[in-house]
Amino acid sequence: MIQLTNLNKQFGNKIAVNDMNMTLEPGKVMGLIGQNGAGKTTTFRMILNFITPTSGTITWNGHPITQADKQKIGFLPEERGLYQKLTIEEQILYFSELHGMTRSDAKIALADWLKRLDVVGKATDKVQSLSKGNAQKVQMIASLIFNPEFIILDEPFSGLDPVNTSIMMAEIVRMRDNGAMIIFSSHDMNNVTKISDNLTMLKQGKIVLQGGVQDIREQFGRTKVYVEGPFSIDELANITGVTHIKPQGAGFDITISNETVGHQIFDYVTRHGYIPAFSQQPPTLDDIFRQEVAYHE
Amino acid sequence: MNNGLAIVIKQTYRTHFKSRGYWLLVLSPIIFAVVIGGIIFGMAKMQGNTTPTVAVLGDPQVRKVFKVDEKSLDIKVSKITDGKAANKALTAKDIDGILIIESDNATLTTQPKSNSINKEAIISVLGNLSRSQKASEYGLTTEQTQALIKPFNLKSVVQQTNNKSTDGDNSDMANYGIAVAIGIVTTMIVMWYTSMIATEIANEKSSRIMETLLAATSASIQYFGKMLGIFALAVTHLIIYIIAGTIGYLFLQNNTLLSGIKQTFSNVAIGFAIYAVLFILVAVALYLVLTAMIASLINDNAQVQQAVQPITFLAMIGYMFSFVMTNMPNNIAIKILSYVPFISQSMMPVRLVTKVETWPAAIVALLISLVSVIALAWFGKRIYAKNVLSYSDDKIMSQLIKNIKNRH
Repeated sequence: MIQLTNLNKQFGNKIAVNDMNMTLEPGKVMGLIGQNGAGKTTTFRMILNFITPTSGTITWNGHPITQADKQKIGFLPEERGLYQKLTIEEQILYFSELHGMTRSDAKIALADWLKRLDVVGKATDKVQSLSKGNAQKVQMIASLIFNPEFIILDEPFSGLDPVNTSIMMAEIVRMRDNGAMIIFSSHDMNNVTKISDNLTMLKQGKIVLQGGVQDIREQFGRTKVYVEGPFSIDELANITGVTHIKPQGAGFDITISNETVGHQIFDYVTRHGYIPAFSQQPPTLDDIFRQEVAYHE
Repeated sequence: MNNGLAIVIKQTYRTHFKSRGYWLLVLSPIIFAVVIGGIIFGMAKMQGNTTPTVAVLGDPQVRKVFKVDEKSLDIKVSKITDGKAANKALTAKDIDGILIIESDNATLTTQPKSNSINKEAIISVLGNLSRSQKASEYGLTTEQTQALIKPFNLKSVVQQTNNKSTDGDNSDMANYGIAVAIGIVTTMIVMWYTSMIATEIANEKSSRIMETLLAATSASIQYFGKMLGIFALAVTHLIIYIIAGTIGYLFLQNNTLLSGIKQTFSNVAIGFAIYAVLFILVAVALYLVLTAMIASLINDNAQVQQAVQPITFLAMIGYMFSFVMTNMPNNIAIKILSYVPFISQSMMPVRLVTKVETWPAAIVALLISLVSVIALAWFGKRIYAKNVLSYSDDKIMSQLIKNIKNRH
């Protein structure tokens, strides 16, 4: 278990991370969300000991992270980089060796990873000859081939096309199911919702929300209603408690002041019987993020 | 050895050792030497026998003396003894000259395309003959005659501190050769390998591979691993040259040019050769440490030259001083500089071999450099760890000064 306790980092007068507390558990994925400069990468850098916290502690199973522990960490940096002049095999074997894997084991595992991730080309191809998508897959392999116990992924989906994004997501889920502790940062709330068990939302270095994804959404109440049927926007807007309404596809997205307003809307739209769609949901992470972080800037 | 460190050393070594660039670096001087040697050898072959053939006319006794001294005079005495036949042979370029000897003078006739004839040697032989003839006319004894014609001997001797003397001519030549060789070898190796380590670190930093590497290891493992890997390449480079030199020597040991060099260097002791090589290696290590430290401040590959240039200049200073020093070995500034790390490698070995300094002084200079390597490596480790993941727009040297001033 990774435990961040009262973690602070200050660069001169600027507070980058402010009293952060976080627990990462085996077999769970933590999504770290926040705007640029919210302190996500600084947090990763402190965990990896690239920079020293101003105060606070980071422990792995109760003890500070040692060099031996670092070998068990898989890290995908935000700005990707590979040795352009080395072959895929040469650099994967090097990174694997640094993480305590033998070259022969790494060679066998590499063949499996290249096949599973559908990398076009041979292990003996130089990285500079690969397409951007394939180079991204190689980078992913470099971070994960040694089956790390703890995985840190800084913006893992940035720059990935939809196909590579789903490959990446599948690998994260596979690693989680194998018992790895995973923390990743992302701007894409959709992806965070899909694969995170827990999330931490940062604003200017401070945690504004933390917990299970569904729990957080439920905290805000089921205040989002979607309806489809033979009624006008004015009819719906006139219902007491409707704060916002906008057409969405064949129906309407309605924001309501509290959950009970949903009952009134349901009664109204079903007064003549069947309607094709009615759904009352908590706000999406995207909505929450906008509400909690962006709107309050 | 720490496993991570061994992996980084091996990877650095293996990657460069397998690269075309490394072998180009190692082999180009050998290829250059072989090509130049081949050209010289080919020219000598094409030129054929250059010993001039001279017809010696006149006193048959004198001709006999010339015949006996053919080798020392570097001429071949022609069988022709008749003036007419000699002129005909000279016109036909069958011979290179005609030496007509009369009682008090001699005439040497050559043609424009004749091979060069050593006139001083001929004058010397003729002078000796004339003096012995005159001595016999004056009724001098054989001993007196010998004493009269014996040339004055000037022997060059170098007085050593242990009161032993060595052959000055050979030592002077060898020492000059060593001064040039140490200076060139050190400067070249430093230039090659500082550039190599700077490019290596700049590449990892600018391409952001460094973050992936440091996630698995520590900055100090990367720093020492890279330096030791590159240092091992420099050692391999030297070993390849030693092997190539040995093979070349075995093949060419009977070559006249090489035997001359062999004789010249016969006074250079094996102990000194080891000392010079050790000093070169310590100097290379010192420059690698300095470069690794400065290279951690580089943002991208375009800044490599900016970082390496001052280091190259520093190496050149020692090289320049090694030449100045041969003319003023006892200058106090030169004496002090020969102990200063980064410069001493080009000066102290030369001062030792020219007997300006003794072994204890030479060992002290080597130890100072060695201690400097260790101290700078530890100091550099902090600068490397602090900067290898940070990117500044400041100039490299101002960043370095800031880092030295503000060490925490």
